[in-house]
Amino acid sequence: MHLPLLGAVALLLQSTTAVFADEAWTIDYHYALLGAPKEETTFFHQPNPSSRASLIYTLSEEGVVGAVNPRDGALVWRQSLKSADIPSNAGFLRGGEGQDVVVGGIGNKTTAWSAADGRLVWTIETPGRIEDLEILELQDASQTPGVKDTIVLTSGNSPSILRVDGASGVSKWTYSIDNGDIPYQVSASATEIFAIVLHKSLLGNIKIKVISLDPVTGRKNDEYTLSSDSELSSTETIISVGANSASPIIAWTDAARTVLKVNIIGTKNVASFNIEKHNEHGVTNVRLHAPFHTNSLAHFLVHFETDISHWGEVYHIDLKKSKVEKAYSLPKINGKGAFSTSTSDANVYFTRISRGQVMTVSSASHGSLGRWALADLGIPVAKGEEAEPIHAVSEVSVKGDSVSAVRSAVFLSTGDWILIREGSPVWQRPELLATTQSAIFASPPEVEAFAQELQLEAHSNPVSAYIHRVTRHIQDWQRLPVVLSSLPQKIRNQLFGTTADSGLTGDVFGFHKVIACACKNGRVVALDAANPYKILWSKQAVELKAGESWNPTFKSASDGILVLEHGVGLQQLQFDASTGEVPSSGAIRVVNPSVGTVQFSLHDGELEANKVGSAASGAIWRFLPGTGERILSLVPRPVNDPVASIGKVLGDRRVLYKYLSPNLALLATANDLTQTVSFYVLDTVSGATLHADTHSGVDLQAPIPSTLSENWFAYSYTSEASDDAPKGHYLVVGEMFESLVPNDRGPLTGKVNSSSLQAPAEPFVMLRSYQVPESVSKLAVTQTRQGITSRQLLAVLPDSSSIVGIPYGVVDPRRPIGRDPTKEEQGEGLVRYGPNIEFDPKWYLNHQREVLDISNIITSPALIESTSLVFAYGHDVFGTRLSPSFSFDILGKDFNKFQMLATVAALAVATFVVGPLVTRKQVNTRWQFA
Amino acid sequence: MATQLPPPPPPQWVLDLNSNPPTKSKASFPDPPGYTPTTALQQPSKSKSSKTAIAPRKAPTPEEMDSLKLKKAWELALAPAKQLPMNAIGMYMTGNSLQIFSIMMVFMLFKAPVQAIFNIQSTFQRLESDGNKEQMILAKLAYIGCNLLALALGVWKVNGMGLLPTTRSDWLAWETPREPLERAYYVPS
Repeated sequence: MHLPLLGAVALLLQSTTAVFADEAWTIDYHYALLGAPKEETTFFHQPNPSSRASLIYTLSEEGVVGAVNPRDGALVWRQSLKSADIPSNAGFLRGGEGQDVVVGGIGNKTTAWSAADGRLVWTIETPGRIEDLEILELQDASQTPGVKDTIVLTSGNSPSILRVDGASGVSKWTYSIDNGDIPYQVSASATEIFAIVLHKSLLGNIKIKVISLDPVTGRKNDEYTLSSDSELSSTETIISVGANSASPIIAWTDAARTVLKVNIIGTKNVASFNIEKHNEHGVTNVRLHAPFHTNSLAHFLVHFETDISHWGEVYHIDLKKSKVEKAYSLPKINGKGAFSTSTSDANVYFTRISRGQVMTVSSASHGSLGRWALADLGIPVAKGEEAEPIHAVSEVSVKGDSVSAVRSAVFLSTGDWILIREGSPVWQRPELLATTQSAIFASPPEVEAFAQELQLEAHSNPVSAYIHRVTRHIQDWQRLPVVLSSLPQKIRNQLFGTTADSGLTGDVFGFHKVIACACKNGRVVALDAANPYKILWSKQAVELKAGESWNPTFKSASDGILVLEHGVGLQQLQFDASTGEVPSSGAIRVVNPSVGTVQFSLHDGELEANKVGSAASGAIWRFLPGTGERILSLVPRPVNDPVASIGKVLGDRRVLYKYLSPNLALLATANDLTQTVSFYVLDTVSGATLHADTHSGVDLQAPIPSTLSENWFAYSYTSEASDDAPKGHYLVVGEMFESLVPNDRGPLTGKVNSSSLQAPAEPFVMLRSYQVPESVSKLAVTQTRQGITSRQLLAVLPDSSSIVGIPYGVVDPRRPIGRDPTKEEQGEGLVRYGPNIEFDPKWYLNHQREVLDISNIITSPALIESTSLVFAYGHDVFGTRLSPSFSFDILGKDFNKFQMLATVAALAVATFVVGPLVTRKQVNTRWQFA
Repeated sequence: MATQLPPPPPPQWVLDLNSNPPTKSKASFPDPPGYTPTTALQQPSKSKSSKTAIAPRKAPTPEEMDSLKLKKAWELALAPAKQLPMNAIGMYMTGNSLQIFSIMMVFMLFKAPVQAIFNIQSTFQRLESDGNKEQMILAKLAYIGCNLLALALGVWKVNGMGLLPTTRSDWLAWETPREPLERAYYVPS
């Protein structure tokens, strides 16, 4: 019974494609990103308390927890806590001193991971959302020796504080806050736990209330209100609630940021300090940096920011008198800066990173312990832009009285996360790419211009083409000095190098394409597809206010000019693909759609088509989904979709003609009531439905991707469990033909033109449905230059964080059902239809890497026919080159050019040496007798 | 004054060349059966005296000669046809796959008949005479026919290998896709 299946699987194995072993990990690239690290959840921590080596831990704005090796910036581990209904900024991450776990919370889940490898230690769910999380530094008899407990503050219907056992995750006690106050933060000193709650007065102002709890029993010791009536109107001006320092503090300012008030938690008096102005620029932001260790000095730094400058003031807390005093201030420096706190034993050090300088001071005195110039950050910055440090964490090693080494992980305004050792950059992580919203492939303008010149020559008459070519070559002579100077390098690369070493313009295979990514923070970043770990350029396209989104979409990339449309006022931006500069107006070609073409778009849940230039206003057709239905997606056939052959050659050398119409679109609609999904293939000129299919019992929460290319379409859905079938994921592939009879071109036989309006021909559709082991969130198709190479269907598998490339032959709708393929069909590579498709490990493009949260895949043809460039973005960025029919037009990496040349040279030398010997011997045989 | 030295004796090979080989001494043993010494053929009149005299063959008449030649020509003309079954079996055995061996065999199969047809005059020249010209045309036609049969075998084989552009798919590259009269473009809203 299993024999035919086994046979089918064996045949599948033969037809699979894979990369060569030496190409995996070299032609594909992957940015394992975390997202922009948040200031309060980023820290250095030693995963192994016995060793001094530390990792950088962060919980990013994207809700990903991860550890990064500070030596090279490599990701050690990460866990995604992303969830659609939780705002990304509501996460916490703490690492207790000397602990081998890190504890994080997001939503209503608190989880502890092993700090070294990210394995789960325990996880608990609380009824309310987590508002704060702290590691209790003090030790008592009730806890496992060496393991520190966690305090969790939750909101929701019954706000409460929990003490969670650090080893098992079992809650030890719960204190509920039941007087209607809003839980804000939790803090702990050496003896008590403080919950800071906000009491809303009738006028809408906020009073800060402190509840102190006994750490062992969870009983309330005291509760008091800080005298801050009418001072606080929102939580925004509460700067900080110190966590586990020797004396936790709470600080806030008034709305205008003119007075800073500090309270040592546990005492009732509030110290007040005036905030000075700088050149009439009011302070816009105040931040507080305090050490996190209970045994360190009770010093803290307040960081003031204005629009043009920043400075810091260091305060000391007198523990005995419970008094806060200003110790010294750090000078004002133009631009933004970042302060970070680090401790060494009890000493506290502040590291200041500002434009062009890194400086470390001790908290005790303002004398600089180390000062380094910071010239280059190692990231590309557009002209006129300045990469400003936003926040930083530092690790300082002290020898005697001076700082011997300091390394700081700095998050920059460009969205890059870099590590600076003393004054030199060590690594850069482009974390902004984790928020890529749109991406496109583009060729550099030089390459495009050259291609255009060649096309010009091909399309004009021979004489003028010849003249054009000669003038072009004469112009080329002007570049001779450049060519000559780069010649040695070129020869060296040709002999020993790989294609990645060549630049954007001198690329004969077309692997070097510019990939432009528009990120959430308003920046556009360009990568080189063949040299992907170097960022070509990065540019702030739009200045966005906080919380504003700009919905960028790349419209086109023709002539090497990127056209970007974005939602902020529906504007259009243009960039030169190779430099990121705004192109001169002469270079821009505005292509207006010609009169008479049809334009269709989605408007308010219906599909509408208009004729360009027609006098009568109004739509020429509309597609209205049925009652209760909504449009899920619309996939038009790509504008640039070359097809090499208009028919499929059968095994007996007859032809099945493909239904090739450029005006096709695949529309998916869903009905939430009946749980059905319908797919329509539309002729977008007439609006006629060419093919329709409905599936019932579909899980509408699961993704329903679809794609359309050439004469076939594919879509995937997840069906709910029913009486006769379990829940499963389906992949449906349909192929359209002019006729199902070989050698027949359907009703339009003999006609040169086809019209959608006069006597349209309907396609004959062959469909096959397959069950796939995982849900598919996105489908895409490889593209090659002329469409000769066979296709691969690219599918994103969100559950296993991977991307598979399914060869088209595997999902071919012409696979025979219920019988073995005939000899002719075998010749075509068709195998017997089986309802299951198992993803072959060789199809996984990402190999063993985890490609997190891919939202889209784009493909682009290379210059050589065999290869298609693939780029996937979302949270992670992944790209590779695919050769679905193997690389038939390029030599593999195992081809050793140097060896070949050496062999030729050796043979030449041998010929010259042996030649005279042979001539002499031949003469001798004539003249000498033995 | 140097005395003129006598010329050196000629080398051995000059002597060998100039001197006649020694006549074979008449052996005492008789000739092997069936051997006709040259002397017997050259001088039949003189051998009358010998005991073992063979009756002289009568020279064939031109007519006889012509018919003999015609017979020979027909044999020649039909020779390719005799090879046909052999070739057919060979072709069948090599299969229809495109391999160097089968390609070479097919090439030979094509080359031999074409070459034979081109060399037809020289093939039949020595058999042709004024008398049998008319009949010889028939033999030549048969010869061409047989060679064409061999050629047909080659064509059959090439067709079997799929090298003849006889099907629709062979002309697919010259067929053009239908040009759509209308175009529609998607405008993302």
